[in-house]
Amino acid sequence: MVQSLTFATTRSRRNAISGYLFISPWLIGFITLTIFPIIAVVYLGFTRYDIFSAPQWTGLANYRRMFTADPRFWTSVRSTFVFAFSSVPLKLAFALAVAMVLAAKRRGVGVYRALYYAPSIVGTSVAVAVMWRQIFARRGLVNWVLGFLGLPSTTSWLGEPATAIWTIVLLVVWQFGSPMLIFLAGLKQIPAEMYEAADIDGARAHQRFFRITLPMLSPIILFNLIMQIIFGLTVFTQAFIITGGGPLDTTNFYALYLYRRAFETFQMGYGSAMAVVLLAVVGVCTAIVLKTSARWVFYETE
Amino acid sequence: MRKATAILVCLLLIAGIVPLFSGGRSEEGATAASELRIMWWGSQRRHELTIGAIDEYTAGNPGLNVNYEFAGWQDYWTRLTTMAAGGDLPDIIQQDYAYLSEWQARNQLLPLDSFISSGVLDLSNVDDGLLQGGRIGGQLYGLNLGSNAESIVMDRAVFEAAGVEIPAWDWTWDDFEETVLAIREATGIWGIGGNLYNEQIWQSIYLSLGEDAYNAEGTGVGYSDDGPLVRHFEMLLRLQEADAIPHISEHLASYHEQGVEAAPIVAGDAAMEYLWSNQIIALWNAAGADRDMVIRPIPRVAGGEAGVYIKPSMFFSITRTARNPEAAAAFLSSFTNDVGINRILLAERGVPIAAPIRADLADRITAIEATVFEYIAEVPNWASPIPPPEPAGHGDIINNVYNPRVAEAILFGQTTPQRGAEILRQEVASILGSN
Amino acid sequence: MSNSTQTILLREDVQARLRAKRRRDLRGSIVFHSFVILFGFLMLYPLLWLAGSSFKPSGEIFTNLGAIIPSEPTLMNFVNGWRGFGGITFTTFYQNSFLYAGIGTFAAVLSSVVVAYGFARLKFPLRGFWFTCMLMTLMMPVQIQIIPQYIFFSQLGMINTFWPLLLPRFLGQAGQAFFIFMIVQFIRGIPIQLDEAAEIDGANKVTFFLRVMLPLVKPAMVTAGIFSFYWTWSDFLTPLIYLNRPRLYTVSVALRAFSDPAGATDWGAIYAMSFLSLVPVLVIFVLFQKHIVEGISTTGLK
Repeated sequence: MVQSLTFATTRSRRNAISGYLFISPWLIGFITLTIFPIIAVVYLGFTRYDIFSAPQWTGLANYRRMFTADPRFWTSVRSTFVFAFSSVPLKLAFALAVAMVLAAKRRGVGVYRALYYAPSIVGTSVAVAVMWRQIFARRGLVNWVLGFLGLPSTTSWLGEPATAIWTIVLLVVWQFGSPMLIFLAGLKQIPAEMYEAADIDGARAHQRFFRITLPMLSPIILFNLIMQIIFGLTVFTQAFIITGGGPLDTTNFYALYLYRRAFETFQMGYGSAMAVVLLAVVGVCTAIVLKTSARWVFYETE
Repeated sequence: MRKATAILVCLLLIAGIVPLFSGGRSEEGATAASELRIMWWGSQRRHELTIGAIDEYTAGNPGLNVNYEFAGWQDYWTRLTTMAAGGDLPDIIQQDYAYLSEWQARNQLLPLDSFISSGVLDLSNVDDGLLQGGRIGGQLYGLNLGSNAESIVMDRAVFEAAGVEIPAWDWTWDDFEETVLAIREATGIWGIGGNLYNEQIWQSIYLSLGEDAYNAEGTGVGYSDDGPLVRHFEMLLRLQEADAIPHISEHLASYHEQGVEAAPIVAGDAAMEYLWSNQIIALWNAAGADRDMVIRPIPRVAGGEAGVYIKPSMFFSITRTARNPEAAAAFLSSFTNDVGINRILLAERGVPIAAPIRADLADRITAIEATVFEYIAEVPNWASPIPPPEPAGHGDIINNVYNPRVAEAILFGQTTPQRGAEILRQEVASILGSN
Repeated sequence: MSNSTQTILLREDVQARLRAKRRRDLRGSIVFHSFVILFGFLMLYPLLWLAGSSFKPSGEIFTNLGAIIPSEPTLMNFVNGWRGFGGITFTTFYQNSFLYAGIGTFAAVLSSVVVAYGFARLKFPLRGFWFTCMLMTLMMPVQIQIIPQYIFFSQLGMINTFWPLLLPRFLGQAGQAFFIFMIVQFIRGIPIQLDEAAEIDGANKVTFFLRVMLPLVKPAMVTAGIFSFYWTWSDFLTPLIYLNRPRLYTVSVALRAFSDPAGATDWGAIYAMSFLSLVPVLVIFVLFQKHIVEGISTTGLK
């Protein structure tokens, strides 16, 4: 009895040791490259730091400047929200619509899925951003096509404050592939009997959609929504390459502005304070989505 | 358990191989003595000519390996700062009058005086006045690479076709507006390209009034009356309204930061362009050597002094972290004095500072360079003295205030010239005050 | 209910109904396929256009702007583009990118599978806590850590080395929470009896992991590897910040510099290099299409 107990404890101890050994790469990384930076970024947010000389404690000065004396900060917040809250619903709606079309059991849907996913696979690459910049240039593809259709245009889509942001929204919506595939997988999970039963009850298409499809997909929508909101709030490469943040700061998205402050004018303290605010905003957005999800996400109770 | 340790050791070993591939410092330490790193900003033509000059230099210095990097203006400063932060600046960096003091204050630059006294850097053929702009606190931190002046380049053919007189050397902004509108009226093309909201013009306007953009203490703007700046932006709005200059949206999308080769005058879409005299060579070459271009200084404020001045176009500075400052100084010496190298460089960075080089080039240059040389020789008769260097914080002011919140905001109609000038005054005080 | 419907149906003119249904099906499938193909073409048009433009001679780039197929195809754009800039050819940039993507992928997959095994099968104190922490990092935007990480790596003298890019991958911190989570799920699907049998045989955890577990989780590792390769290949922000010498540029950073409007005029070459940079990604997509679609569908990867 005593022997087996000690055997058990040594065994669980050995288990514990090997467990920590196995997760040690992640654990070391988590502490040094994630936890430590979070603490550092909070600290640096209270300082003035240009990396050439030691950080100087300035208390809340960065935050005060950010919230009260930096209109560019608010412009960037506004354009980031405009971007995230227009591109995310559009992208998800698009992804869902296409997923429902491609969920049909017809010949060739496998090929179609792959084709529709192709733009997403090259998604965030610099090459696509460079291409996009050319497409919307004054002598670019869009104006050419408009001219071809008899609507001659010399609009500089990237130079107009009213249009620049939408070119980037369009780029992001164009890459609806991943949520589409996730929706497709979700649609497959919905038992066919539910639709059959609805058919028999004489349900119309929109009723089937709102009563069956949407509720059954809601956990997946929730997942997609959270991930896409985070991607949306931190969009960087596209704006950096296509518009460089302009015109009139209309595409100076939060992540880009943060990068600019930190790595162009080397205001690391200010940049850190912005990072802290970003963390808070992402946290709050996620919390809000999760909180309201109780009302609209339908979990199968088994 | 021992095996788990063994695996971890393996992992670390694998990780240990990585730096072998990664081109880190260890690899370079071995060849440091014979390696020189140089970085500059510029456009295509400068890149080509400078690379040619470097090849020429290394041909005469076997065993020396010169690595070079370059970028456009905006990117250049970001990358330079990033490198400085990582303690990895190249040995020689190109510097600008506006940023020299900031970089010296950050303790990133090496004074060149010891190389001059030791004879490594030979400046005996250079007029001392031309070196003055690179001195801070009596020590030379930047070697002037050429003389430069703000200018307006004009396409004579368009002026003749439009029946518009080529302006006089002491023309004013009022003359300027008339000229631009007259050309637009007569030809239907733009009078001038769209870069007239540039911060250099803000400084030039107040120079013309005997003041400066910044005050001498470096705590705020250096002028009491916003009027001249306001009137300048009002004029730009009128010209923009008349489609006599590219609209700001079009300028930003198609021309801004695109290199002078893309300026509308090159394609015949405008009659004039505002730029620095050294850039004229690249622009003119892109436009075609058969075009006939005239150069005039930037206009002055009516009733004021000249808005133009002779400026060191740019500097080469040696960095504090340079591994081999002697070799860097020797390179700068050849860059300034070597006939062969300067025959390749062709005054692209401005009119050379060494007298024998100017004389040598005079016989070899094309009509394009000759026109620029003549212009630079004539400007001192019409120029104001050079304003003092910009205070540290100038970069922040331009990037975060002047461009986005003043100039572009006004031209996009988001704010009035009056309000823009007020914002500028307040923000300059607030940014400089916190330094 | 369903029985009675069928009975009613059978009483009707079954033959006629079936014929009508077949006609409807045919018409439906024509509509379906033509719509999906047309829309798919629209989706792929920008990519096809990019590919086509990279073969257009410089005179044709703007005159024959919208065409996909060049009237006089040429390879000159690739020859000119490959020369790169500053005396450094794209050979160097591709070497760097393959090095980064190759080692980065290897590191990411290796660390993910080791850590996932620890989380999935070993019992150790605080396991649940660490697992939650790991899942939380899924929602952390990189912008939070870049400033402190940059300072950290620059103080270690690691700027302009590949360390800051690879180390986070060895330590499971570069978005690998996705992979770890996915592999954990996968391992949970493997019968636990296998582990118990091995334990009775006296095999220790490490031997078991190497001999039994690794071969079994191969499919999940392949999926993780593909995505890791994608992310690393198109990664822009990290190399942009850490690699400041042209000789160290990855393809994405080089492409940005190459297409820098301040110097670039050879649009044919820019298109050619952009298109070329997408080729590795597209090839892998074609080869592993099934894996990718399943990977996304089941785990919600990117």
